[in-house]
Amino acid sequence: MKTKELGQQQIIQGLKDADTEVIDEFIQQFSRPLFGVILNYTKNPPDAEEILQDTLLRVIRKIDTFRQESDIWPWMKRIAINNSIMWLRKRRSSRGREIQLEEYAPTFSEDGHLHGSVFRWSVDPEDVILNAELASQLYEAIQSLPFEYRVPLVLRDTEGYPIKQIASLLGLKEATAKTRIHRGRLAVRKKLADYLEGRG
Amino acid sequence: MRNDLKCKDCFDLLMDYLEDNLESETQKKLDQHFAACPPCLNFLESYRDCSKMAQQLRDQQVEIPKELENRLKTFLREQM
Repeated sequence: MKTKELGQQQIIQGLKDADTEVIDEFIQQFSRPLFGVILNYTKNPPDAEEILQDTLLRVIRKIDTFRQESDIWPWMKRIAINNSIMWLRKRRSSRGREIQLEEYAPTFSEDGHLHGSVFRWSVDPEDVILNAELASQLYEAIQSLPFEYRVPLVLRDTEGYPIKQIASLLGLKEATAKTRIHRGRLAVRKKLADYLEGRG
Repeated sequence: MRNDLKCKDCFDLLMDYLEDNLESETQKKLDQHFAACPPCLNFLESYRDCSKMAQQLRDQQVEIPKELENRLKTFLREQM
């Protein structure tokens, strides 16, 4: 993500000066990608709108702390992710549905051998860029996960955060974060395998 | 090196295997098991590919309604 329309320095200076034209341009350039990031954490568009508004405000208020030699997009994205997680943790009082391992894991015989056949996977991970339907199936599969599984999975697999950092961000033990990522992956894999198998 | 790992053991270690968290000897045993067990290899590949595919969703752009953009502009102007 690069600041194409207005240069990064112009944006930073404009935000510092509270220049309304620059602020409008800043919203035009960054609200869509930031909204995309936020929607990975909350499925509810009104919630996402509120988080986006708060994120843009935080970016402007913190702009003095930004190290100018680095790219501004990862910095803004981090604010959006932290903001989404903080917001969700505050609002979520009840836990979502637990994913049971048996629902999505293969079955094993008593002596530990895998039971039955496993669907032959024939997808190249790059296909998801070229195939809009596959991308949409993947997105839906991730979005359908309960919050407790979706957020660690997105942080690990989509954003590439280390497990230790995910555990710290979410206030979890590392082992719990790992279990949730693993179960989330199993559920996503099963949904995509069902889709691909059905497609034949 | 005797390999007494069963499919179930490999499944239980799958995440640590992909994260390179295992002792090298255990990692090798899993390599051997996957090389010799097509169902486990299928499962490993599908699990790993889902994880890789999720990475492709990074920084996706979504459409936002013009009214939301306008609301954001008004809101931020008020806050400045």
